[in-house]
Amino acid sequence: MGLSHRIKSFLDDRFDTATARTIIDQQAHKRLPPHTSWFHVFGSLSLLLFVSQTITGILLLVYYRPTPEDAHQSIQYITAEVHFGWLYRQIHAWGATLMILVVLLHMLRTYFHGAYKKPRELTWITGVLIFILTITFGFTGYLLPWNQIAFWATTVGTESANKVPYIGGWLRYLLRGGDAVTGETLSRFFVLHVIILPWLLTGLVVIHLLLMRLNNLTTLERVGEEKPVPPDSGIPFFPVHVAKEGVVAVLLLAVLVTLSVLAPWEIGEPADPLSTPPHIKPEWYFLPSYQLLKYFEGPYGAMIGIVACSVPFLLLFLWPFLDRGKERHPRKRPLAVAFGVLGLVAALFLGYLGHISETEQTFFGKRYHIDLLGWPHEIVEEQGDAEQAH
Amino acid sequence: MTNTEKHPTRRGFLDWLIGIGTSVTGLAMAVPALMYLWPAARTGGSDNVEVEGASDMAPGQSKTVQVGGKAVIVVRSHGGFEAYSAICTHLGCLVQWDGTKRQFLCPCHAAAFDAQGRVVSGPPPAPLPPYRVKEVAGKVYVSPT
Repeated sequence: MGLSHRIKSFLDDRFDTATARTIIDQQAHKRLPPHTSWFHVFGSLSLLLFVSQTITGILLLVYYRPTPEDAHQSIQYITAEVHFGWLYRQIHAWGATLMILVVLLHMLRTYFHGAYKKPRELTWITGVLIFILTITFGFTGYLLPWNQIAFWATTVGTESANKVPYIGGWLRYLLRGGDAVTGETLSRFFVLHVIILPWLLTGLVVIHLLLMRLNNLTTLERVGEEKPVPPDSGIPFFPVHVAKEGVVAVLLLAVLVTLSVLAPWEIGEPADPLSTPPHIKPEWYFLPSYQLLKYFEGPYGAMIGIVACSVPFLLLFLWPFLDRGKERHPRKRPLAVAFGVLGLVAALFLGYLGHISETEQTFFGKRYHIDLLGWPHEIVEEQGDAEQAH
Repeated sequence: MTNTEKHPTRRGFLDWLIGIGTSVTGLAMAVPALMYLWPAARTGGSDNVEVEGASDMAPGQSKTVQVGGKAVIVVRSHGGFEAYSAICTHLGCLVQWDGTKRQFLCPCHAAAFDAQGRVVSGPPPAPLPPYRVKEVAGKVYVSPT
């Protein structure tokens, strides 16, 4: 008797494995709706990136030391001395940014297919929570290398918390572990990043997957008129859709490694609490909020700005209850689709303005200084300078 | 209304006891844990700090020091020394002194404050708070006002 057979009979003698096998078979061979396409792989890719982040994160933890004196040096050590340390650090850094992108793409697909509608409202809400936790992961992890950019981006980020009405001061104090960003902040962010957030996210992902499996993938039929996919039609989850996911997963891993090799993240200068480098900007996923905040000035400007920045997230949570239409097909819901496209374009536009603000750019052969608010000001070359240049 | 709804049953009492017991125990564990997370008060260093090398500073030059854990910028003018919080009141970046413009400039969002810490331009909602400067036996000390 082979070893696998022995293990199987050992388990069969002790547990009701037949029932478990039936459930697994049912799930594995479930038929997916006919419109299931390559756009339906972003959920699995998000999960793959979460697993990759967990594994590379654990590997980095072996050498990382979360104190202001050691953090930057330990990252340098991981990069320069540890075998493949540079690769794991880069995969972790790029994985973080790709995970946010892939979760966003997954949300867009869900939105445009009307998959947030009844009975999947809770699946959508857990998805929004997963998205928020993912960007919180990015924010807390960003400080850990304890370099100049990270230190001052965290200073600005936590100072923004101060503008939250009524509780802002307490929130900033609690986040920082004091009045300023110090070693206390590093400890707090470290604990959040490596213990609290991973467990929270794991729990949410499990609930999200269970809800998704319980309610099945959405068809494009009207709310209340969805019919189960018959066993002889639709797309088999295994092996057809799984194979599709496998192909995209391999491509994603290739992109991850390529980016890690060709576009490595710099370690940067160690944090200096007495010198702010010029033009601190957050990561790309915070750029729309960063830019939006700038348009609110005056004594209550920042407070109003923070409220304005929280509106999109509030809308995301409430959207399944605000959009009560029965239709799911994007062509039959022009308003919801237009609203989604408008939101996306606004976020991209604000993000781009945030990216180019306080820089010099060339448009149509002319040089412009882009001010804080994103307005371009043409740079007129002085006559004397031009002659001198010739 | 049935008899069991009028009079509490033993099972109902046990349900109630378990509910109350779990809530009280949970609260008793959560309150100290939340208090533990609240940052303990720390002075963050001395509140009366000597500005090292102040006597070597020429008029128009500045130096950033930490007073009580917070960054303070000390400027030497022809009349003596002046000190202001170096923390921009917009989003917390540290301002730098521009001796030529006689302004404090924030490198993050292009804010400018005049030599008295008042907002000249940019998004800050408030001026830079001043600090007290004392000169004793050729040494310069900075402390909160």
